[in-house]
Amino acid sequence: MDPILVLDKVSYQYPRSPQLVLRDISLQVGRGEFLGLIGPTGAGKSTLCLALNGIVPQFYGGRFFGRVAVAGLDSLEHPVSEMARHVGSVFQDPETQLISTSVENEIAFALENLCVPSEEIKARIPRVLAAVRLEGMERKHPHELSGGQKQRLAIAAALAMQPDLLVLDEPTSQLDPLGAQEVFAVVHELNRELGMTIVMASHAAEEMAEHADRVALLSAGRLVRIGTPAEVYGHPELLEERTLRPPQVARTFYLMQQRGVLVRDIPVRLRPALDALDTLSRDCRIDPPTTQQPPTQSGGALLSIRNLEYVYPDGTEALRDVSLDVGRGEYVLIVGQNGAGKTTLVKHFLGLLQPTSGTVAVGGTDVRQLSVSELARSIGYVAQNPNDQIFNSTVGDEVAFALRNLRCPLNEVEERTLAGLQAMGLVEQRHQHPLSLPQGDRTRIVIAAILAMRPEVLILDEPTTGQDFQGARFILDISRRLHQTGKTILVITHHLYLMPDYAGRVIVMGKGTILLDAPIRTAYHQVDLLRSTFLDPPQAVLLARHLSERVGQDIPLLTPREVADCVVCDSPEVQAP
Amino acid sequence: MTEQPSGEEREIKVLGGAAIDGAPLAYVVVLAAVVAGLAFIPLSAVIGSGKSFPMSQAIFPLIGWILGPVAGASANAIGALIGVLVAPHTTTVPAATILGAFMGGFGAGAMAGGGSRRRWWLVVGVVGLLAYAAYAGRAVLQNGVGVVAVILGSFIDWSALLLYLLPTRKMAARWIGGQDLGKLTAGLFLGTWMVAGLTHLVSSTIVYYVLNWPAPVWAAMAPVAPIEHAVRCVVGTVIGAGVIAGLRAIGLVKAKFAAY
Repeated sequence: MDPILVLDKVSYQYPRSPQLVLRDISLQVGRGEFLGLIGPTGAGKSTLCLALNGIVPQFYGGRFFGRVAVAGLDSLEHPVSEMARHVGSVFQDPETQLISTSVENEIAFALENLCVPSEEIKARIPRVLAAVRLEGMERKHPHELSGGQKQRLAIAAALAMQPDLLVLDEPTSQLDPLGAQEVFAVVHELNRELGMTIVMASHAAEEMAEHADRVALLSAGRLVRIGTPAEVYGHPELLEERTLRPPQVARTFYLMQQRGVLVRDIPVRLRPALDALDTLSRDCRIDPPTTQQPPTQSGGALLSIRNLEYVYPDGTEALRDVSLDVGRGEYVLIVGQNGAGKTTLVKHFLGLLQPTSGTVAVGGTDVRQLSVSELARSIGYVAQNPNDQIFNSTVGDEVAFALRNLRCPLNEVEERTLAGLQAMGLVEQRHQHPLSLPQGDRTRIVIAAILAMRPEVLILDEPTTGQDFQGARFILDISRRLHQTGKTILVITHHLYLMPDYAGRVIVMGKGTILLDAPIRTAYHQVDLLRSTFLDPPQAVLLARHLSERVGQDIPLLTPREVADCVVCDSPEVQAP
Repeated sequence: MTEQPSGEEREIKVLGGAAIDGAPLAYVVVLAAVVAGLAFIPLSAVIGSGKSFPMSQAIFPLIGWILGPVAGASANAIGALIGVLVAPHTTTVPAATILGAFMGGFGAGAMAGGGSRRRWWLVVGVVGLLAYAAYAGRAVLQNGVGVVAVILGSFIDWSALLLYLLPTRKMAARWIGGQDLGKLTAGLFLGTWMVAGLTHLVSSTIVYYVLNWPAPVWAAMAPVAPIEHAVRCVVGTVIGAGVIAGLRAIGLVKAKFAAY
């Protein structure tokens, strides 16, 4: 292997941190390789990404041990500006990386700073735009681009430097499914067709298993394991110990293995998993469990919409002819591509938007007769970007803010604030500045503030974005507990694989209308409809669909456990390939 | 740190990063842009001129504490220069605005100077004394304005100068550099009173020599200027407390001569 990146016993401690965030990491990445970095939040993935171009430690300071070399350049002996010629970096949130007023200026910016001749800059711009499939958008303002396009523009700007190594730190975590697909497709192409060396940190297990050559598992700053996707993801117990999620196919076959089915090599990609399932379905019995649809809500509609249309002031028609009832105590999942109208829809319940035509009622009262503050007492809304809802200097003040404004008695403010903090596991952080906490924790701060208000309805708009698996489950478990106490829950998310344990009903939206409103087992198995709005059904659902076709019977299963449980092998020598 | 890494510890150097007096150029650019942006917002009217003070005056000291005296003064001056061009409605005399901004950043940064910079505040003090002598001297000796009217009308200027020359300067700097949020807030208010007052003094001296406002204006300034200055200090304190708390929280590398 011709290594382009060498890490030799790398350890690092941030200036005010009492402990190391990277511990004795040694690894090599070959030219043209795609290395995936996985690990729970706080494992050191982002710090490692920053160490590759010298930002850690040159910008942050602290204590640094060992050596990082890219293309033979030691990251401590060369300025970041020089390292940047060899290491292109793309970060989580594309909004924070784009600073220019046009796509071509954005790409030219770094090159101009490096005094690259203008003729050369002009020659590189179309090349990199073609590489990320953004041809023809040279004059567009970056803010006119979709999330996926913005992230691809950030990649193009990094590529324009003609780096030896492209480092991407969770580049899809803030994107919708289409945006994430676009980014993975572009990165895959760069790697396979142009031979670009890639290091990518990501929680997207299915995609990493599909695209990476090797995967490195970090935990508490240590490199726990490195190997092919099969060598890492093929050991779900190793990942689950560290609160990570393996690809659903790997978990399904692992669970089968646990039930005594002899699975020689656990598949980590969908195609081999389908082939393995074919073998099993030939040799084993498929015994689908009886599945139950969630009970229909008998109570009256708490939230009601009739013939709703909404047109934004710029003329964009965001919703058209939407009618919907949500019963008291329901748990509803709303899904759809960005721009489908999901957030616009829920903002009508809060009085934040007024219908262009049609009616919206909460508890039987037209929202036009209720003020935003009245609605806010009964409906808690956690917006997509927690930073938009945070403005106090401590976590505790943030959670108490609304209660103080409602002039609640001091002891009640204290009691409810503490309860909100406890529910979200934030008591220890109550005196910290909200911005000092990771993005995932900031979402929990906003939820704690909403919980302190004790609303009747809780609307969570993309609460799992930017969260690792444990963080996402933590938030959704809270929503389930509230649901069990009779609260009405509406969740908007693109992460379909998370929701079978929580939601009973799914509303699929597309282009401002409701495409499907059905119980979750029905909705998740409308694979073509979901894909038409760029949603990928969970792999467990695809396995169940495959089984359905094999046995000629509808098997509406949703989770790896359900799929694993329905494969019954009487003969112990049956083996999946 | 309880465990010992196996790799050899390396010396960390900041290589090749563009900086002004130890403050990364990026910080200077961003804060200059903030100053220019705040120039659009009028803080209060300038009596007798038909113009207004820019809101950016409230953060001139803060920028000096964040960036240090040289980089702070540079950011303020660059931001004020841009502000003069893009927001002329908050500029009475462009040179006064820019020099005042420079004085604000330098005066704030010099408050906390140690080592070879421990006497830099004296430069600010001397400039302040000379400016006050020119300001009040012209009013009393050339224009025949009553001494009492000048003293009352320039209360914020001489009180700022006095507080800056006394140990209160060091005390405010200590509070701003400490971890106690209450003292930080008090230090920001007191420091802004001093430094924004000096900014006002330098700017007003130049403006007075250009416009030479009539004697009744001194009387009008007496009750208005302290209130206006207090508002300036409150704005600076509110913004400053949030910004400094935030900067400390996110652990962004401090400029070499930052005071917080």
